[in-house]
Amino acid sequence: MSEVTQTKISDIVEASGSSECSILLSTVRAVGNWARKNSIWPLPLGLSCCGIEFMATAMSRYDMARFGMEVARFSPRQADLLLVAGTLTYKMAAVMTRLYDQMAEPKWVISMGACASSGGMYRSYSVVQGIDEFVPVDFYISGCPPRPDSVLNVLMKLQDKIDRDRTYQLSLATPEPGAAADLAEQAVLTGNRHGAPIALATANERFVVPGPQRAMSRGRKPEETL
Amino acid sequence: MSKVTTSCMRYSDRVPAGISEASQKALAPFKVQWSEHPVHGGWPGCLVSGADWPKVFQALKEQANFELLVDHTAVDYPDRLPERFTVLGLVSNIHTQERIMVRTRVAEGGSVPTLTHLWRSADWAERETFDMFGIRFEGHPELTRIYMPQDFDGWPLRRDFPLQGHNRFRD
Repeated sequence: MSEVTQTKISDIVEASGSSECSILLSTVRAVGNWARKNSIWPLPLGLSCCGIEFMATAMSRYDMARFGMEVARFSPRQADLLLVAGTLTYKMAAVMTRLYDQMAEPKWVISMGACASSGGMYRSYSVVQGIDEFVPVDFYISGCPPRPDSVLNVLMKLQDKIDRDRTYQLSLATPEPGAAADLAEQAVLTGNRHGAPIALATANERFVVPGPQRAMSRGRKPEETL
Repeated sequence: MSKVTTSCMRYSDRVPAGISEASQKALAPFKVQWSEHPVHGGWPGCLVSGADWPKVFQALKEQANFELLVDHTAVDYPDRLPERFTVLGLVSNIHTQERIMVRTRVAEGGSVPTLTHLWRSADWAERETFDMFGIRFEGHPELTRIYMPQDFDGWPLRRDFPLQGHNRFRD
């Protein structure tokens, strides 16, 4: 059972020994998404001239480090964002899908430039006509190659998307009719990334987070929960 | 739009200018036809039979000092049947700057003897020619695709290969 359920805010203030104790209440979703969106570590798959443009985005003139994504990772196991920059051939597509599979969830994909998005001017037997044949793409960047401004714009749009992510969304499990009283209070953290619900906490674990969302869903005012 | 589907090359027994005596002596044992006009950047060319293909190169390399295999590729003339492919090798004498482009013809499904025992650089060049045209090279140590994925279907540089619409996943 979570400690949070046992504690009242007034107890925390009292225990701190100061009446000026600062407490910030938030939701798991808000904090988790905030952390994720400000630490996007890209795996740059620089395949052609878009890779040069991505390098310009990372360097001091455009400086994408301002948005918390300066750490370009060249290991997929440490990366959150697969940034496919350039012309993908079918032979390289196997490498790209392998890199994508090695990345840990949550992960995002940006298709940078005309070639990665549609094959570009290479309407040819050897070039993949859009990387979404192989991996799910979150954002496409137009341009041949795109300017660094476009890359930054899309990176910020990706941050907005992560901010809207409902993976951490808290929802209450519907109790079975006639279930025990304590089961009726149990909440389950669920998410719906890529359309498939995933459970972050099992139904047997009492994981109750105080907050207006839960309180309202139980028909109480927020103050009563605290 | 006209397509080049047959070779415009004309051959004769007349030795073109620029062929040294050493080269002529090295090629004397073989049945060689010379191209009428020096083409391909002015390099004199000749046509030999497929059976003579490695022997011609061996003679040029060992007797006439053509030590460098500059290029090795093929051309497809789909209307010139049955021998629709021209396989060509460009050799250079790096001491005299003399170059000869040797050609042979091969039918679809046919094969040409390898040159890998003469030049290690012929290894990848022949793999590329196999990959793009489907021409087999007898005696090659590992004749597999070098550019395309191993499961690729088709020979992209043949003229009857579709220019677009071949992709497996999207038209």
